[in-house]
Amino acid sequence: MSEDLEGVSGPGPGDLAELASVQRWLRAYGVHWGETSTPSEVQHRLQVLAHFCGFCDSTPDDLVNSLFREAPEGRRIKLKRRRAVMAQIDEFEREVGKGDAKVGREAGNVVRSFLIHNGVALTATPLR
Amino acid sequence: MEFKQLVGSRRSIRYYQPWHSVEREKIQTVLEAARLSSRAVNADFAKAIVVERDSLSDEERDSLKTPTTQAQLDLAPVWIFWYADPDAPKVGKTSLKLLVDAGALNPSHGWSHAYVDDVVWPQVLTPIINNPAVLAVLVCVESGLAICQSLLAAVDEGLGTQLTAFNSEAAKPILQVPDHWIPLWLQLLGYPAESPDGGGQRPRGPFEEMFFEGRYGTPFRRDPAVVDRLRAARMIQEEAPHPWRQAEVRGLSRMFGLPE
Repeated sequence: MSEDLEGVSGPGPGDLAELASVQRWLRAYGVHWGETSTPSEVQHRLQVLAHFCGFCDSTPDDLVNSLFREAPEGRRIKLKRRRAVMAQIDEFEREVGKGDAKVGREAGNVVRSFLIHNGVALTATPLR
Repeated sequence: MEFKQLVGSRRSIRYYQPWHSVEREKIQTVLEAARLSSRAVNADFAKAIVVERDSLSDEERDSLKTPTTQAQLDLAPVWIFWYADPDAPKVGKTSLKLLVDAGALNPSHGWSHAYVDDVVWPQVLTPIINNPAVLAVLVCVESGLAICQSLLAAVDEGLGTQLTAFNSEAAKPILQVPDHWIPLWLQLLGYPAESPDGGGQRPRGPFEEMFFEGRYGTPFRRDPAVVDRLRAARMIQEEAPHPWRQAEVRGLSRMFGLPE
């Protein structure tokens, strides 16, 4: 996977680590699964996320913020935007997987995990 | 399964074996259980449409999902769409007389055909039928009783089951349900891919804060001896999560390619 992500445009993994949405994700992921990820695991996830951000020409914070709107009654999710992002992730999977569904899915699920732990409910079509 | 163990063993199952179809006789058993539930005026409040997941197109399946119901809808091979029928109590005048004739509603308790015709129908049922807010509460509660029995019957048949939300607007043209039916729940049926006990009995609020004795504020005294007896009968079981639950969920996620 790592080799597939080299040379892509967009922010580098190191640029992402300090972003609020990324910190929230990594912290929540660790708390939920009760484990501390190794530096190489974190680096890999950030690399995939950076690739996706280049793929959709966004940043992690902007990506999350684009999925919510402020309403008088509080923050609300944008359902149409959510569907569009889900379709982008599916497309990203196909591009990264290059015909290998499992490789593509692994990358797509990194992005989904990032969004889920930032409060965006979504999942993937189960592989069956 | 013994009744107490059945009540204690029901879980909302969210991981199903997608390749394992459900026998038609088991589906019928689930529906038969719903048909026999307690029901006001002996009316058919609950209505259901059974759909095989694989009979739907990809577009139809996707349109029925909500943000948190996507994976389990893809995994469960059978979907039962539950609706409440607000027209159901309109049969009350006839159905109550049938209960009089069947010996369920008896003169010993004041029941007669004349009471149904002269009092119950004009003074009780008709005002309810003409009050949409009261009617909605009635039909939804009565339908819920039927759905509850169908859940327990599914577990008794060795199936996994769950009530989940669905996109009722998208369902209308697919299922062609009457406009006046009230969408309630989508019940999933299938064989569990997760442990049937779902990693333990779900946490519940304190008994004493839910049930009262004599008046509100006086908790119904919970006898520890009864609790022990219900534990022995498997009605009260180990509370979730089991120590291995996270590992199970992670294993299932990876097996089905779902996010973590």
